Amino acid sequence: MGEVLAYIGLVIVGVFLLYKTFKTDDRRYIYLAVGIFVIFPFFIPLDIPVIVSPETQQLYDAVEALPDSSTVLLTFDYYASALPETEPMSRAALHHLFRKDCKVVTLTTIPLGGPSISEDVTREMAEIYGKEYGIDFVNLGYKANYVAVLKGMGSVIDIIYPTDNSGTPLSEIPMMKDIKNYSDIDFIYVVSDNGIVDYWMSIVNAQYQIEVGCGVTAVMAPKYYAYIGSGQMTGLLGGMKGAAEYERLIGKKDEATKGMGAQSLVHLFIIFSVLAGNIIFFFERRKRFNQAGGAR
Amino acid sequence: MVVSFFFRAEGSFLGRIEPEILSWVTIVGGFTLLLGVVSIVRVNYTAVKRKADGWGYKLATLISVFVIAIPAMLPTGWSDQFGRGDGSIYKWLFNYLDAPMMATMFAMLAFYIASAAFRAFRARNAEATLLLITAIIVMLWRVPMGEEFLLSIHPDIPGWINTYIMGGANLAVQRGIIIGAALGAAAMALRIMLGIERTYMGK
Amino acid sequence: MFQNKVTIFITLIILLLSQSLFAVDTTENSNLTITDSTTADSVIIQPVAGVENLENTADNDIPAFRSERLNALIFMLLFSVVILLYTRWARSGKELFLRKINGLDEVEEAVGRATEMGKPVLFVPGLQEIDEMETIAGISILGRVAHITARYGTPLHVPVRYPMVLAAGQEVVQQAYIEEGKADSYDVDMVRYVAGEQFAYTATINGYMMREKPATNLYMGAFFAESLLLAETGNAAGSIQIAGTAQPAQLPFFIAACDYTLMGEELYAASAYLSREPLLLGGLKGQDWIKLLLIILIITGIILASFNSAEWYLNLFESV
Repeated sequence: MGEVLAYIGLVIVGVFLLYKTFKTDDRRYIYLAVGIFVIFPFFIPLDIPVIVSPETQQLYDAVEALPDSSTVLLTFDYYASALPETEPMSRAALHHLFRKDCKVVTLTTIPLGGPSISEDVTREMAEIYGKEYGIDFVNLGYKANYVAVLKGMGSVIDIIYPTDNSGTPLSEIPMMKDIKNYSDIDFIYVVSDNGIVDYWMSIVNAQYQIEVGCGVTAVMAPKYYAYIGSGQMTGLLGGMKGAAEYERLIGKKDEATKGMGAQSLVHLFIIFSVLAGNIIFFFERRKRFNQAGGAR
Repeated sequence: MVVSFFFRAEGSFLGRIEPEILSWVTIVGGFTLLLGVVSIVRVNYTAVKRKADGWGYKLATLISVFVIAIPAMLPTGWSDQFGRGDGSIYKWLFNYLDAPMMATMFAMLAFYIASAAFRAFRARNAEATLLLITAIIVMLWRVPMGEEFLLSIHPDIPGWINTYIMGGANLAVQRGIIIGAALGAAAMALRIMLGIERTYMGK
Repeated sequence: MFQNKVTIFITLIILLLSQSLFAVDTTENSNLTITDSTTADSVIIQPVAGVENLENTADNDIPAFRSERLNALIFMLLFSVVILLYTRWARSGKELFLRKINGLDEVEEAVGRATEMGKPVLFVPGLQEIDEMETIAGISILGRVAHITARYGTPLHVPVRYPMVLAAGQEVVQQAYIEEGKADSYDVDMVRYVAGEQFAYTATINGYMMREKPATNLYMGAFFAESLLLAETGNAAGSIQIAGTAQPAQLPFFIAACDYTLMGEELYAASAYLSREPLLLGGLKGQDWIKLLLIILIITGIILASFNSAEWYLNLFESV
């Protein structure tokens, strides 16, 4: 009951701030409302069922169909700025891959923070599943010029990455003895917040015929429907909702699922404010039209 | 590089030199980062020296550049706080300053989208009204609460949105723009390779 | 000069095709660094040659030329020839029709407005490296803008994200100022490196917009999540804004917050449009013909697929 009252209060605050926005034409009221709607569900959580989209299901099925102990390349192509959307995807992917005993090779095309994020997330997940570095997973880290990196790895990985992220030569890492180029990789799981996805598709998928599945930020997702439609991309996670759907599929409700309450409320608030704005716009136009003496 | 695309590494000289060229590209790419450091130091140092407007911020930039870069480059053998591993100065600065600041900037997008949507989605004419209706439907579909609402109206609505809006109209437009842009980029690349287009060199 | 370029191009193609004649037997090159230590290219060889593994491939004489990529080669050659022919045709002085691109027409006026107001022009060349075509297109437009700012004596501010873009940007702006006879007005810090991180870069530009209130903001190049942050801040600062990008995901944001937006290929056409150089304009015409060819190919595919007989047709476009 208390929760219901709290949400009724939230709606009243939202309507009031929207009214102030219309009245004063000051966009800061709308910013304040968005802030409140984002924060609120973290204090009083909303349990909303997540429905799995066909694109997420396709990615899950592709990973599920891999034979156990397959080698998967997982990329951390995102800056710390997009962590809330992308890190849950990486975590969910690692849950799935480690559970299937896949050998995981990670890399990043992001210089600032990319190597640290991939190292931290992978080690944390490996600990949960009792995986050992160099046997079950390897972090290649970052190398400059992503186009050259992506192309070069098609020939020989250790020309591009002579050492792993911590400086150990690849020849000394047991797992890498059998992984020389893309031909030794069964699936590529790209998690990205930028246009690098295009290169994974046009260079790696198109030229080396490796299945590529992607997790991208919500704003990028519509563009990549083109690759899904043409059958080039094997599954797509769109933003935090995509991550929440994947969490549901692997049965590990985590950060993305928790974020669904905030995302739902803010979306609904924006829809409401756009509709309210249009209603006011309509009446104002009508009023102006009537004042001008109607149709001439 | 273009020519080597058509040859196998094993059978031809062109195919074999491709990986070599690529490794050179990554090496040169690494060195260009130095150019950036030189520029940022020169611009900000000059501003601090002249006590130009906002020189305090420029000083903060200069200090930040060195505080984050130098400990990360020093060998870990000297101290656990050097390098980029756990417990290092770099890692601490990244986790507790850089990452939250970047996330904050990205999160501001939500506020800006609210105000931009508010302005852009006005039903001024038939096209704008169509845009408004489509936007609302897609926004509802993209969040679990909205999807539940759509399902309560008709169980096939989310599927229709996925098929006809995202996989239909959206896909057609995206492909049109992508194909046009790819042709434009390829034509420009050709003009540059043949020296016809030199406007990017100021000519 | 043009003939020389075409000759070089044709020579390159001959060289390319002759590579298959000089193909070396893989067994003779087993000591090569790349092939001896790895199973290089086995992924490519396997589906094509039907060879099970590299040991077997060494026993076969595999042609150096990837015949499965012949369709890509044919299209590349066709595309290049059409562009070059139209470039040559344009040199003969034929009048070429170019549709009006409002965003580009407004560039000069927008810079003029900044001059009248005594405020700077902000030019953002996108967030990608110089090897991206979008960035190169942005830098080309920067050259034209720098000509106008040099002519009018308007302050120009160009923050960049990558060191190589810095070098190219400085070169272009300096050249424009020299050509306009305003070499003394050129300041090397007009183009400056700001930050390599996406949002640090965005924060710097947003801060600049709110402090200096530039009269005109031009965003030309590749943009990602920062597009709306930049454009909304510019909108709040009251600047006239013209954007151009080939990133489809960012176009809606620019359209919502900017006065004019160049979409996709319009950005690449900008250098030709602004300079009106016949050589560049000819390339655009050639590009249009290729687009027409693609439209015909797509429609043919649709018709064949509708009659369930598109398999052979689709195979023509298969490439690995």
